Amino acid sequence: MTNEKISIKKLYALSSESRRYCFSLPLKHTIRIGKRDYEVRLKTDEKFGTYILWKNRKYPVEVVRSRQNKYEILFNDISYTFTVETPFSLQRMKVLGSKRGKAEKEFVKAPMPGKIVDVLVREGSNVQRGEPLVILEAMKMQNELQSPVNGQVLKVTAKANSNVMKDDILVEIKVE
Amino acid sequence: MITYIKITVKTGFKPGSTRYNMKIKRILIANRGEIAVRIMKTAGRLNIETVAVRTAVEPDAMYLSYADKVYDNTEETSEIPVFLDIEKLIRIAIETKSDAVHPGYGFLAENAYFAQKCTENKIVFIGPSPDSIFKMGNKTIARRIAMASNIPMAMGSEGNIGNEEEAVAIAGKIGYPVIIKAASGGGGRGMRIVRKAEEMDKMFIIASKEAEKAFNDPSVFIEKYIENPKHIEFQILGDTKGNVIHLGERECSIQRKHQKLLEEAPSSALNEKLRAEMGNIAVRIAKAVNYHSSGTVEFLLDSDKNYYFMEMNTRIQVEHTVTEIITGIDLIEQQIRIADGEALKFKQEDIKLNGWAIECRINAEDVQSGFAPDPGKIESLSLPSGANIRIDTGIREGSVIAANFDSMIAKLIVSGSSRKDAIKNCKMALDKVWIKGTKTTLPFFRMLIRHPKFLNGDFTTAFIEKDLDQFFYNSEYEEMLAAWLATKLFTEENLADDSINVDFENGKEMSPWLLNKRINQF
Repeated sequence: MTNEKISIKKLYALSSESRRYCFSLPLKHTIRIGKRDYEVRLKTDEKFGTYILWKNRKYPVEVVRSRQNKYEILFNDISYTFTVETPFSLQRMKVLGSKRGKAEKEFVKAPMPGKIVDVLVREGSNVQRGEPLVILEAMKMQNELQSPVNGQVLKVTAKANSNVMKDDILVEIKVE
Repeated sequence: MITYIKITVKTGFKPGSTRYNMKIKRILIANRGEIAVRIMKTAGRLNIETVAVRTAVEPDAMYLSYADKVYDNTEETSEIPVFLDIEKLIRIAIETKSDAVHPGYGFLAENAYFAQKCTENKIVFIGPSPDSIFKMGNKTIARRIAMASNIPMAMGSEGNIGNEEEAVAIAGKIGYPVIIKAASGGGGRGMRIVRKAEEMDKMFIIASKEAEKAFNDPSVFIEKYIENPKHIEFQILGDTKGNVIHLGERECSIQRKHQKLLEEAPSSALNEKLRAEMGNIAVRIAKAVNYHSSGTVEFLLDSDKNYYFMEMNTRIQVEHTVTEIITGIDLIEQQIRIADGEALKFKQEDIKLNGWAIECRINAEDVQSGFAPDPGKIESLSLPSGANIRIDTGIREGSVIAANFDSMIAKLIVSGSSRKDAIKNCKMALDKVWIKGTKTTLPFFRMLIRHPKFLNGDFTTAFIEKDLDQFFYNSEYEEMLAAWLATKLFTEENLADDSINVDFENGKEMSPWLLNKRINQF
């Protein structure tokens, strides 16, 4: 491990849509766009809390979640999820990724506490990305929980008319 | 067992201000949140005392600090929320010697029985008569009244539909698609669109069940479904002397699942002639039920500018603000004056629409997850101010957006001399709203006010579902900057030892709060 750290010259932030941002180490407080370097600052003050200062504009930032090398960042009210990889872990990931194939599972969880109004899929149903799976009622609104992936429903744990807690698993999908 | 907590004491009359000689001296606010604040602000200006109700769900809510008196109901163990408990509210009004009740919107605002109970107990209900509420609240009765007054309507069933066979027969006559609606309905519940006869059985049962659950009344009726309409509504005001006028229209087509997100006044779809025509019809409907107080007549406007009466809302609306801005009339004040027995001080020809106003409903919702509610605590809040900006809100830093109530954080109302000007001001104002702690609808509005179809006024109620491929706006480099931050956090957590040259100097800029939040994750 120690050896690895010493030789790290770059880090990659991979977005959930697989866009890759590369930063050289030590991490600079400037980012080059075209031929110009622009200063980027992480700051905090009483009025605005934590924000990033970029091209004379303040953008609110929050760390929503972080686990190991995975970060969910709220930037200007929009959430982005990144995994930060070293050149080595990136290489390892590529190798593992090709071995593991596509038999991955996706868990659809309740984004908030509420009541299941309707379950629209059954075990074995084929679903498309964006297809509604479950109707969850919370805060006077009926919310459609959609499939994040194309795949096949492995398990349905959600039951109509039952109450669920935040992050309860509702549907398990085998990713196509 | 009555407890008063005196929170603020108003300082009486300002020098030079007029002393209003009203019969109403004290109003019980049978509501919470921003509308409670809104009503109390106007009442204060009219030197009328207000009583607010403190609940266990939000004992420190902002609206309480605007009331002259607070009735403490935090010990109440009843299953029914107090704002829906008619008997309890009447008791509170009597105990607090309130001579009037303002219901706000939602809760009991359109409950004829509540209005009736108030009247029986000699408490002025600030709103229309129980009879008007009942007639307009029942959509089949409202349809019959409108039909008798020759109001243009979508073709539909004469009254409620008894069973699936009857539904199929009527739908066959008027032609598909049709929409099944709850007779006692509103807000999109108990509604189902049916595109072919085979779907009718299933949809009829679903709509009827949903109606029974939501409104305690399974009756439904059928209407021709108007495809891709605009939602245009007219604000009307009527007094108890029989005068009714309209204050122009509001454009409310930007909605998702019948929940309005952005409203504007006036609408770019109407010209003077159409405005006068539809406005007169709105007035005619109101007169047909001897309407007094503030009300809203909703129309659907199709692409050929045919309009159809939909329903009348017998309350103050969330979006009343945009009308107030372009007419200069305080609608809450008018409601109070009308309830007090005053005649309207202006005639139809006195109403002039000036400029343009846009309201954005900033809700605690996650636009990246299909507008799912995102309840939570407001960690920090900074709202813009200025000549073109009005903010109506019932929350402040530290407030909790509870799952029990709606998800509204604030209404951002921006005005301008023209639509273009209002949009420009809105764009700037949206960048000055800072809310931390929950996700909000802000990124949606930032996208919307840049969308060419919105800019051209070329949008219908189907806009969000059909014309959008992304529900939020992020400018160039925003994702990159977020990636930079993730990388920065990673270096601080994993590489902060002597083996690598991490910039400790800049690490000090990290907020203690951010660090705490991160530490808590582990």
